[in-house]
Amino acid sequence: MADQARTTDQTRTPDQTPGATLEFVHLAEHRVYLLRIARLELRDEHLAEDCVSDALTQAYEKRASFRGASSLKTWLTSILKNRIVDLLRKQWREQPLEPEPSGEQDFDKLFDETGHYIQMPSAVSDPADLCQQDGFLAAVQQCVDKLPKRIGQVFVLREVFGSDTGELCKDLGITTSNVWVQLYRARMMLRTCLEKGGFGRA
Amino acid sequence: MLKRKIARHPVFRISCQHASRLLSQREEAPLPFAPRLRLWVHLCVCDACTNVSRQFQTLRLAMQRWRERD
Repeated sequence: MADQARTTDQTRTPDQTPGATLEFVHLAEHRVYLLRIARLELRDEHLAEDCVSDALTQAYEKRASFRGASSLKTWLTSILKNRIVDLLRKQWREQPLEPEPSGEQDFDKLFDETGHYIQMPSAVSDPADLCQQDGFLAAVQQCVDKLPKRIGQVFVLREVFGSDTGELCKDLGITTSNVWVQLYRARMMLRTCLEKGGFGRA
Repeated sequence: MLKRKIARHPVFRISCQHASRLLSQREEAPLPFAPRLRLWVHLCVCDACTNVSRQFQTLRLAMQRWRERD
């Protein structure tokens, strides 16, 4: 036992990484979670199922490369993200950009001629408390589902899968300013959507 | 009030529309000095954008909680 404790990562054979002892059931415990985030990203039950199954199979095949530096859930999420990004890249290439409602013009209605808000945005007194409420989280999810598809996909990659600007540019083949415009639109649409319910106050 | 005077000065004056874009951009990367200063001055005098700023922060937290929820 003492010898084992002294073994470092460098001297371990692949069989001895924390991942080597993983069984498929350990991975499959996270299936429900992975499906939930894949569904929000892809908006397609079957595609989400496929991506999650692929990700779990792939994770099992390369389980020895799981070194336990991050949690298993985080590791699986990054594998799923790679599957999803591959799929999105293919979809985006095949489908020409849908004529999206021009975000800027829509938001123009929110502002007066001097560029100031016509209607006072609702104050959020306690974001932490609000985000504990299942009802508010459900409302947010509904609003995310209503975003134009690509704007929603960029937003979910950012906020759920944790991609930063650099990753989004590289993964989706779009420019930094494009990423920021999509995220700005997503946030403005989400806040407008949530304002219908008083941004959680109603 | 001095703050309002500064906020109305052409060097600092930005619209809420512009401020909202900066608020979103700020979630992605640190703002360069000049826009950061203009936004700060704007937020000192503008309740609307202060609320939007909180809303954007709330959105980020909400997505985090949504993800962690079992």
